[in-house]
Amino acid sequence: MATVPETTVESAVSLRDVRRRYDRGEPVDALAGVSLDLPRGSYTAVMGPSGSGKSTLMNVVGLLDTPTDGAVTIGGTDASSLSESERARVRGAEVGFVFQTFNLMPRLTALDNVALPMVFAGVPRPERRERARRLLERVGLGDRLDHLPNELSGGQRQRVAIARALANDPAILLADEPTGNLDSATSDAVLALFDELHTEGNTVLLVTHERAVAEHAERIVHVLDGRVERVETLRR
Amino acid sequence: MDLGESVGMSLSAIRGHKLRSGLTVLGVVIGITAVITFVTLGGSLQAGLVGDLGGEGASNVNVWSSPTEVSGPPGAGAQPVFTDRDVRELDRQQDVRQVVARGTVRLSTVSDGNDTVALQQATAYGRSYFAPDDLREGRSFRQGADEAVLNPAAAALFEDELRAGDTLTLALEDGREVDVRVVGVLDTSTAQDPFEGFTQGPRVYLPTDPFYERVVTGPTSGDPERVYQTLFVIADGPEQVGGVRERTLTYLAEESDAATLVAPNVEFVAQTNEQLLDQVRDILDTLTAFVTGVAVISLVVGAIGIANIMLVSVTERTREIGIMKAVGARDRDVLGVFLTEAAVLGVVGAAVGTVAGLAVGYAGTVFVDLPFVVPWEWGVVAVVVGVLVGVVSGLYPAWNAARTDPIDALRYE
Ligand SMILES: Nc1ncnc2c1ncn2[C@@H]1O[C@H](COP(=O)(O)OP(=O)(O)O)[C@@H](O)[C@H]1O
Ligand SMILES: [Mg+2]
Repeated sequence: MATVPETTVESAVSLRDVRRRYDRGEPVDALAGVSLDLPRGSYTAVMGPSGSGKSTLMNVVGLLDTPTDGAVTIGGTDASSLSESERARVRGAEVGFVFQTFNLMPRLTALDNVALPMVFAGVPRPERRERARRLLERVGLGDRLDHLPNELSGGQRQRVAIARALANDPAILLADEPTGNLDSATSDAVLALFDELHTEGNTVLLVTHERAVAEHAERIVHVLDGRVERVETLRR
Repeated sequence: MDLGESVGMSLSAIRGHKLRSGLTVLGVVIGITAVITFVTLGGSLQAGLVGDLGGEGASNVNVWSSPTEVSGPPGAGAQPVFTDRDVRELDRQQDVRQVVARGTVRLSTVSDGNDTVALQQATAYGRSYFAPDDLREGRSFRQGADEAVLNPAAAALFEDELRAGDTLTLALEDGREVDVRVVGVLDTSTAQDPFEGFTQGPRVYLPTDPFYERVVTGPTSGDPERVYQTLFVIADGPEQVGGVRERTLTYLAEESDAATLVAPNVEFVAQTNEQLLDQVRDILDTLTAFVTGVAVISLVVGAIGIANIMLVSVTERTREIGIMKAVGARDRDVLGVFLTEAAVLGVVGAAVGTVAGLAVGYAGTVFVDLPFVVPWEWGVVAVVVGVLVGVVSGLYPAWNAARTDPIDALRYE
């Protein structure tokens, strides 16, 4: 696919000419005009060298970061006009983050970590515990509900993080180097889980610098110096 | 985000740092302990006094003479000036039910057979004085009889605890020895009249006849008469006590033997128990203000401690703040989490302080044998103060946490 399609209602996320400039010292254009559409149910990988703007793209899509210019639409909501608390609400409801370093709450059990996004979304306690339990079973951790993160292996922690990302049934799963801290066997298992989640209809955006990881996706967006260099569609 | 969830997270954060949290709330604990101990003791003391003085004591006027420059507890500086005639004359005044003369009998020791203990004085009353329900056994003494009533502390001075029916030998100050029959033991060692103070020492009570021996030539009668240091003028009822007090002072000033016997610069004091209670309340209020001042300082120190530890905690948990925001926490949710934690620290400090204060206060009331009164309203005040101290000291750290940039926070090592 050489051109980026126009925004459609079917897009989980769409970016229009998004720019993000950091002004600390020498100004850096981490994103220098990115347009991108992520159709519902699609699986997209973002590849590029270190410092090319991949994480910034993630953060902008996930409403953690605000673009200096351009428009971000997520789950049908235009994010540019939102207040801080509305952005937090949309982020909680429509985005599921998975990080390289897992980023679990150290003092919360696996179950409570998975339930946390539902706490901020106002889901009643019995309901969110039940759903957290089912999600942990879904990622194969039905027998680790009450374990603390430091009682789990890296692969297990990342599964908890994935279950947490799914908690509020988001429009998109954002994974920034999710296998970066895992050995190859565990990485394969985590990537297989993403494949399954994609097959089940979830929209996935995965950042990686490894070709082999990126090839799990349907297409690869290559970024360089804050721009989309090319979009590669994969066939299997 | 609901409060229950914030409190749950706070408790797990606090449990994660037990020692640190404990040391942090120490200032609050000390402040609250001081206040609760004090109000418990103060309240119990008042309750004890009201019990002693308020009920039947409400009709009493306590009378003594006092050098004009002396101010102090009831009876301070009292001289023996009230004669038997004064007692009889006051008894005849309007609305007076009876007058009880009181004096002290100087002793050197008291003995039960060969078992001898030192005791400096006994209290003598001009009536039988004790009612049946003041006594745990026996009865009160009778005037004109060699009889004594002991308080439990006095009964327990001897190896064989004394009981009604036992004989006690009193060695008087001048070396004479007299045998008395113990006819009753009181049911408590607390003071039996306002002139005894609030200590729990052993006490022996005697009838003035025959034991009280201070005698002068009566200025009116010309005959030898006993002279007493203090009198209780008891009105027919609490409504009459004010009038009785007035008439007592008038009689003493204008007609009494006491007016003749009294030294210059000595005035008569007639104090109702209500006035005495007011005086005690004044003293307690002053002390309460002082203790509250100390407590406020301690609470300020406690608040600074909580603020400090919350700042540390916010920094340590920067990454957790980033995580919370990434999964949908609004700034005010983060604010709420840290404010709740500070408030929980304050409340835990206040609760520990309240329990410690009640325990110390309880031990104090047991020690001085006062009724234990739980100051419920102060318990509520303590918890509210704990919340306030926590919230105030948590505001700035929590605000810091709330405005943390999630991207920086997630990168934070
Ligand atoms: N918070 C920030 N402040 C200043 N510069 C930043 C910040 N975040 C990222 N950058 C800069 O933006 C560029 C893109 O960074 P990033 O998106 O993290 O790249 P990647 O994830 O592809 O390695 C880099 O040059 C980086 O130094
Ligand atoms: Mg990166």
